[in-house]
Amino acid sequence: MARPDLMKGGAVTLPSLNGPVTPVTTPEGVVLSFRTASFASRLAALLIDFLIIVLAPVLLVILYILLPFEHVKFDNVNMDHPFVQALLILFVLIGFFLRSGYFTLFELGPRAATPGKRIMKIRVISHDGGHLTPSAVITRNALREVELYLPLTLALQASVNGGWLSLVALIWALTLALLPLFNSSRARLGDFLAGTRVVHVPRERLSFDLAEQAPVGSPGLIFSPEQISVYGEKELVVLEEVLREKRPPTLRAVADRIKTRIGWVEPKIASEVPSDEAFLRAYYAALRAQLEGRMLMGRRRKDKFDD
Amino acid sequence: MSDQPPLQLKSQKFREAREKDWKALAKQIDRAENGGLRKFTTEELLELPVLYRSTVSSLSMAQSISLDHNLITFLQALCARAYVYMYGPHARPGVMVRDFFLRDLPRSVRALWGELALSLLCLVLGIVGGILMCMADPSWYDPLVGGMSQGRDLNASVDDLRKTIGGTDNGEPLAAFSVFLMSHNTQVTLSAFALGVIGGLPTAFLMIVFGMSVGAMVWLFASKGLGPDFVAWLSIHGTTELTAVVIGAAAGFHLARRIMFPGHLTRKAALSEAGRLAGTAMLGAMLMLVIAGFIEGVARQTVTEMWARFAFGGGMAALWLFYFLAVGRAHKVRPQKVTHGQT
Repeated sequence: MARPDLMKGGAVTLPSLNGPVTPVTTPEGVVLSFRTASFASRLAALLIDFLIIVLAPVLLVILYILLPFEHVKFDNVNMDHPFVQALLILFVLIGFFLRSGYFTLFELGPRAATPGKRIMKIRVISHDGGHLTPSAVITRNALREVELYLPLTLALQASVNGGWLSLVALIWALTLALLPLFNSSRARLGDFLAGTRVVHVPRERLSFDLAEQAPVGSPGLIFSPEQISVYGEKELVVLEEVLREKRPPTLRAVADRIKTRIGWVEPKIASEVPSDEAFLRAYYAALRAQLEGRMLMGRRRKDKFDD
Repeated sequence: MSDQPPLQLKSQKFREAREKDWKALAKQIDRAENGGLRKFTTEELLELPVLYRSTVSSLSMAQSISLDHNLITFLQALCARAYVYMYGPHARPGVMVRDFFLRDLPRSVRALWGELALSLLCLVLGIVGGILMCMADPSWYDPLVGGMSQGRDLNASVDDLRKTIGGTDNGEPLAAFSVFLMSHNTQVTLSAFALGVIGGLPTAFLMIVFGMSVGAMVWLFASKGLGPDFVAWLSIHGTTELTAVVIGAAAGFHLARRIMFPGHLTRKAALSEAGRLAGTAMLGAMLMLVIAGFIEGVARQTVTEMWARFAFGGGMAALWLFYFLAVGRAHKVRPQKVTHGQT
């Protein structure tokens, strides 16, 4: 799927996406290149979720103490009292829900993410591009039992008993738990089984188009085709970043480097000497025009080493 | 000079023409993600997929004509968010529930018949083994039953034992205990399923051990002459619960089989295919466990006669058999039905 598709032109150069990419072909036939969620962000999401899981019962107990239930005198009431029974059942059920149902329920919701995942801006998607089915969500979370709870239990046992058998089991379980570190799509066992992946779904803002702000008709800023065709798409992206950041020292340095590289001759008249920013904007617009022109003819240029 | 920039790139014209749609989609997705889909008017709802498709096609287009990095990143993020929302797990609840119970669940359980036989065999072996082991040496009882005994231990008198399976709730917080038991058995089911991933042997082991603990209890009661009473008591919820455990383990065996023998698929593909089938069956097993919990909480105390208990348990077993064998079979002649998108 990640192979360059000449007809669609998509998924060929996505230089911005740092880190591994999970390409997904949507039912519309477009390749969406999701950034694979890193192990660290998944771990962080998990820790946040655990924090919630641990804190929720604590909050409940606090709530119980704060609420005027104290008037129900415990000393006299025996444990058979229907109210006490109901309360006990409620507590056990909540504990059970937190352990086994928390992840599943949240991932079945409209955002396909637990609160922890939401905070880390990661989401669960179906790897084949189709609907994320409820059974997939259940499968991937049932596997937590073997990936997460089993290693934890074994670690506890190993620390208590110290038997070599539990140590071996612990290592085996740890390998399973750390599986995301060893494959390129950062998928854990449950993801493989359910055919799901966890990806980064950030919100990006649409900024203005830099090409529109190219200085209008300043006579000093005209580049020859040779001067333009020094760079490729990768350099264009860097240039764009520099221009959007607008930090004077960087602008200066980049402008200087480009000027030397293309053999730029400053205009004689002092008033026509462009500022660094104006120069870079003009060069950006010219470079983009040329590269997009090539692109339309099907000849993309990845970077300055590319022909 | 005019305000018109000197360069009018194709990508700029493209952006000008489509930008409005993207912004509209971004706004709608924001609203929808915040749970405001109900507040959408009919026109807005109908417009949403159109906007989504046009934006996705914009992305496809932009990737081949534009080198505006910010634009492409924005479109990618927007399409990704819209995609996650549009193809998220939410379906219309009614349709989803109906499809699941009347089609997916019984079908996937039927598809597991071989594994079901294996896991039933393991359970039966465990039960028989548990009974035989305890008959040979009663000291096996404690390690086999462990913490679940709740007073049903070797020293208990006939009366004590009768009390634990009696109808009246005398002193022991039985209801709370049964919820605990339910969550314990759910853990067993989950583990049996999950352990399938590591080769299936652990699943078999777990099933046998689980069967042994049941067998040991049967032996204890039988040795005090309460065998039929205990089995009757167990059958009330046991027919449901044990079926669920068996299905869970069968799902685990299925995973193990597909990992070891993926057939013509790659191992990864076989695994994810098996995962969906087994996951569906697993969800059914979980729901059965909840039902078993309810039966345990209510019927154990209210149904007290031995024949009534057998009748109830047998009835439940028959119900499950009928459900898994008969419901959701494809009709011979399928009416032409067009469904749009919803699955």
